[in-house]
Amino acid sequence: MNTYPNPFSEAISYQRMEQYDQEHLESLSNISPMTRTQQPIVTGTSVLAVKYKDGIMMTTDCLASYGSLARFKNIERMIKVGNSTIIGASGDMSDFQYITYLMDKLMTKEYNANNGQPLAPENIYEYLSQVMYQRRNKFDPLWNALVVGGYQDGKSFLGYVNLRGTTYQSDTIATGYGAYIAQPLLRNAVEKKNGELFTEEEAKKLLDDCMRVLFYRDARSLNKLQRATVTAAGVTISEPYSLETEWGFAEHIRGYGA
Amino acid sequence: MISEPIPTAQPARQMANRFDPYEDNGGTTMALAGEDFCIVAADTRQSDGYHINCRYAPKAHQLSDKTVIGTSGFYADGICLVKRIKQRMEWYYHQHDKVMSTPALAQLLSVMLYQKRFFPYYCFTILGGLDEEGKGCVFDYDSVGNVERVKYQAEGSGKELLQPFLDSQIGLKNRATDDVLDLTEEKAIKIVKDAFSSVTERDIHTGDCVEIYIIRKDGIECEKYPLKRD
Amino acid sequence: MEYNGGAVVAMVGKDCVAIASDKRFGLQLLTLATDFEKIYKMTDKCYIGLAGLATDVQTLSQELKLKVDLYKLREEREITPKKFAHLVSSTLYDHRWGPYFCEPCIAGLDSDNKPFICSTDLIGCINFAKDFVVCGTTARELYGICESFWEPDLGPEELFEVISQSLLNAFDRDSQSGWGAVVHIITPDKIITRHLKTRQD
Repeated sequence: MNTYPNPFSEAISYQRMEQYDQEHLESLSNISPMTRTQQPIVTGTSVLAVKYKDGIMMTTDCLASYGSLARFKNIERMIKVGNSTIIGASGDMSDFQYITYLMDKLMTKEYNANNGQPLAPENIYEYLSQVMYQRRNKFDPLWNALVVGGYQDGKSFLGYVNLRGTTYQSDTIATGYGAYIAQPLLRNAVEKKNGELFTEEEAKKLLDDCMRVLFYRDARSLNKLQRATVTAAGVTISEPYSLETEWGFAEHIRGYGA
Repeated sequence: MISEPIPTAQPARQMANRFDPYEDNGGTTMALAGEDFCIVAADTRQSDGYHINCRYAPKAHQLSDKTVIGTSGFYADGICLVKRIKQRMEWYYHQHDKVMSTPALAQLLSVMLYQKRFFPYYCFTILGGLDEEGKGCVFDYDSVGNVERVKYQAEGSGKELLQPFLDSQIGLKNRATDDVLDLTEEKAIKIVKDAFSSVTERDIHTGDCVEIYIIRKDGIECEKYPLKRD
Repeated sequence: MEYNGGAVVAMVGKDCVAIASDKRFGLQLLTLATDFEKIYKMTDKCYIGLAGLATDVQTLSQELKLKVDLYKLREEREITPKKFAHLVSSTLYDHRWGPYFCEPCIAGLDSDNKPFICSTDLIGCINFAKDFVVCGTTARELYGICESFWEPDLGPEELFEVISQSLLNAFDRDSQSGWGAVVHIITPDKIITRHLKTRQD
């Protein structure tokens, strides 16, 4: 077959091309890529919540850790949304504070619409889980496990949603380390009641007991916690408080290098 | 020209730390078609690894008076899929002034799953119901929309445990005599309950409760049957 | 375990035990032979089924037979199934860091003709079961169906029916097992061995 020589071959400067390539590549490396949450940075640990007679009770501690460092010790990990819903968060705190912003935006929109139909906890939960699921679809997750608690029109609501948009509703919910340590205690307490609901005092004691165990065993926890309730009277988030602890038994624990 | 090594992002390291968008929430679903009825059943446990998230997270959903869908695998994808199907059914209803038939839904579902071929819904779906002639029908899917019309099918974390049992009891496989199966509703429900009790015994992702949807020409009934919770 | 494929199951009945296997010998998805039985007679009342890598199945069965025969010469009595199980276990554990790729199922009657079954993993962790044991590539299918079919106090003929139906329906859902089956029923006075014709796909 006949091949024709390139009439411009003399004119092409390969050296110039290589130089261009090099500059081009270097300029590429200066462009920072789009960033995503690839891992949580400043994190909160467990959220615990139960249904009880008057509504929902939820607790978190006030710590936001930076790896193993107890970085921020006065963080609120529960927010009030509207007058009948709370959201508690574990996982990345900056993502959670962004969610706080989203919720604010949502409630402002609702206020402006002023349609006389306040968003029910179920609606807020649905909105939140759709946000979480859509962010996971974009490979840009909000790195949290969230618990939504609410009480409206005599009905309690308790739901969970995580960074992949997985959802479930249950009478007891525990996230993070609490899923391993507190959830069995919570379920056990519920099953012992045989269908009856906790009184406020029982729920308080149960959650405090669980938080105490978590404080003993979860290294990323803090003995400074908040308790929130959602009842017919509305949402209350308590001031931070501490639990009585007993470390005498620690002497007898053997293992883990001791 | 010898060039300096070009500084680039380290793709190998980034790939290793990449966010995994999937979760396996387990669960077993099955369906079987009778002459004039259909049964779709799914357990209600939602798990994550060795952890039980919730003892009642329904995986079977009623789509119309004639169709029920069961999904297992990644729960969030399952819910999203069901939600989108319901939306498409509503559009169809407003456009054509009729409820989508089961075979039409089956085709739609296949297309919807295949549309996400390169970022699939991680769910194993079974569609059960009555076809246009009022006969029981079951459609089985993989996660990217391969579909097959079958008489009976198990899917999800306990499918390997369940399917041989169905082959034997409904498919009447490996029989020396030419038995003819007279599959009554009662018998079918009994088989479903037995099947789930057995699967629960050996599959940790299956348990708590099974919801059995019985689809008849005059409506759908849902029966809950408790399973072991361990 | 998935290289050659195979299915073995053993069940307890009333004063009898049954052990069954498929007959396929394959290389991954290619079937090479359909007369490869995976059950070996160790004593008159004790059989072992070995699922896994065929070369190890043969080697291990021979090694075990040797040990059982040496035991008999030294002790002047038959080894009991339970002792044999521990012999299998320790033989496998001898190769802890370079194991035989075999999962054994053992079935037998002891000196009082009491049924005994057990299985072990490839490095000899014993699983004593009162009902049934399974192993091989068809394990999950077998677990599901045996859990449904098995019940206590089955006579030899009932047990034969149950184990056969379990195995047949289970391996029909496994591409790596099947192509015929063999069942041994061990009763105090005789061994019943039956070869089952199955679908050849």
